[in-house]
Amino acid sequence: MEQIFDSLSQFWQFTGFANCTWQHLAMIAIGIVFITLGIVKEWEPMLLVPIGFGIVIGNIPLFPGLNIGVYEDGSVLNTLYQGVRQGWYPPLIFLGIGAMTDFSALISQPRLMLIGAAAQMGIFGAYLLALAFGFSPNEAGAIGIIGGADGPTAIFLSSKLAPDLMGAIAVCAYSYMALVPVIQKPIMLLLTTKKERLIEMPKPRVVSQKEKIIFPIVGFICTAFIVPSGLPLLGMLFFGNLLKESGVTRRLANTAGGPLIDVVTTLIGLTVGASTQADKFLTGNSLKIFALGLVSFIIATTCGVLFVKVWNLFLRPERKINPLIGNAGVSAVPDSARVSEVVGREANPNNHLLMHAMAPNVAGVIGSAVAAGILLGFLG
Amino acid sequence: MRKTAIIFCLILASAGLRAQNLSDLIISEAMKGSEVSVTDEYGCHCDWIEIFNTSQGTVNFAGCFLTDDPSDLTKCQIPKGYNSTKLGPRQVALLYASGLSAKGVFHLNFTLRKGSTIYLVSNDGRTIIDSLDIPSELDESQSVAKFAHDNKEMVFDDVRPASPSPGIINGKHNQKSRAQMMKETDPHGWTLTIVSVSVVFAALLILFLIYNLSGNIFSGKYKRKAGKKKASGQPDEATAAAIAMALERYTASDMGPEAAAIAAALHLYLSESVHDVEPGFITIVRNPASDWANKSLTFRKTIRKI
Repeated sequence: MEQIFDSLSQFWQFTGFANCTWQHLAMIAIGIVFITLGIVKEWEPMLLVPIGFGIVIGNIPLFPGLNIGVYEDGSVLNTLYQGVRQGWYPPLIFLGIGAMTDFSALISQPRLMLIGAAAQMGIFGAYLLALAFGFSPNEAGAIGIIGGADGPTAIFLSSKLAPDLMGAIAVCAYSYMALVPVIQKPIMLLLTTKKERLIEMPKPRVVSQKEKIIFPIVGFICTAFIVPSGLPLLGMLFFGNLLKESGVTRRLANTAGGPLIDVVTTLIGLTVGASTQADKFLTGNSLKIFALGLVSFIIATTCGVLFVKVWNLFLRPERKINPLIGNAGVSAVPDSARVSEVVGREANPNNHLLMHAMAPNVAGVIGSAVAAGILLGFLG
Repeated sequence: MRKTAIIFCLILASAGLRAQNLSDLIISEAMKGSEVSVTDEYGCHCDWIEIFNTSQGTVNFAGCFLTDDPSDLTKCQIPKGYNSTKLGPRQVALLYASGLSAKGVFHLNFTLRKGSTIYLVSNDGRTIIDSLDIPSELDESQSVAKFAHDNKEMVFDDVRPASPSPGIINGKHNQKSRAQMMKETDPHGWTLTIVSVSVVFAALLILFLIYNLSGNIFSGKYKRKAGKKKASGQPDEATAAAIAMALERYTASDMGPEAAAIAAALHLYLSESVHDVEPGFITIVRNPASDWANKSLTFRKTIRKI
């Protein structure tokens, strides 16, 4: 009988109940909030549901030494986590993004690319603030990239510059990407006048297939020569786009933009979530990162909108740009472009800005990859 | 043209040779084994020699020789056929002077002697690439290492006893990381911010200029005005309206999607909106070479008076 009690007592020591702390419960609650937001509010469900469930997985209290935790070498979760840790999931996601993205809007109106550059100020604004908050330069660089509003880029850079902060940075980036409509709309309304919101832009010109094939090749060579450290992201992005536009690799493009990106998104979401274990996540630094992330989104949106307003001062009336597409310079594709469309139609129901906003939006993807390459080059 | 191609090939070939240049290898450090020395894969403390690739290219040192006897330059050959003998840019390889080369690829058939000189010999068995003297008064806890005064130039002219750093680039452990250097030189981050923002703008500005130019070329801005008559649009619009009316009149009720697709293509064509020209989608393009415009193929021919 005593032996049975001993065995039961031993078993109890292995259970989650015996090893549970309030931090575990807090993190599990955060995970459930993420899942709820993804399912009920449908805010970035493809990301928030895997990340939320990953947070729950990563915070089940474990008896140490069972070799099943995400930070225990050789465990299943640890093996899957290597894609994040070594930084090879984000380039695969970029391959899929390239294979899914139509750059026609950008090719037909290349001047709008500069808005994508202006919105990257969010990255460097957050970098300066993070340094002021006492983070080291490499940590500040990893935090700053949240302002690019690009989850894979944030994961890629933080895994290289500040692996310890990667969980908080990734969760922060994806959370704010889900909140893009909530964050950007008031800033856009605050910074623009009713007259500016009514500006109608000329229709973009027709883009030929040849131009669309040349775009990824020339784009890659130019950007990679300027910032070679951004090679993994830029190379995969433009390669994916070439697969799509060449017209002869439709199957490869469909795989890269379909099953492959789905698999990698699932794994990256789950493992990033699982990496946010209570002892590593519930720290003062995480709170600072969330505050800086929010500020970086605000700076990015503000700079994008203000850049267009200033630019308009030098443009002829028929060439003026609606400043409501300035917010789309952050690379949250296509959410921020959708915000431009929605706010634009509220001002004038016949003014469709989506196609115009897609240009700075995809330029933002390129811009944030270039910015990540620069930070990696300086701080890596 | 041919001459240019030959010169280009020669440049490429010379670049290839440079990448494989064995003269870029140096013996960067060596240590007579003791209890504080490194252990090999069998757990034995043994003597070791470190080889460093000073170049920016990969160098394969398979087939090279190591010796401590100037009269026998081919004393111990590095085996061929192993990937591990390829040294990447600024990488080091650690060789164990265990006296038993059968122990593995990186084991040598001699041990180190104080007061001797070790030589790295090219795979021709004659050319000495580099050498390192092991001082007779070397302390048991010390190695003899080469340091560069200028890490950019990679001139290793400072040879002295040092704390052992097997498998690590000499002096590197004393070097600061880029982030640390950035913290000292740019504590508030303004320099990095200004430089980075400039580079991001420059990158996208270059792309803008290129695509603006290509856009002008593809949209026919630089074309001569000969083709302008074709692009005027008015006759095409009338034709398209006629097609649309015919479609509406003659298509069966179950052909809704096809008719809609054709109508959408017509609309995009006429309004000159962004239009994906891609396989699998209905696309209407102007074709100046089309026979439809050929007068000789019109139904009615001018009646000739006989």
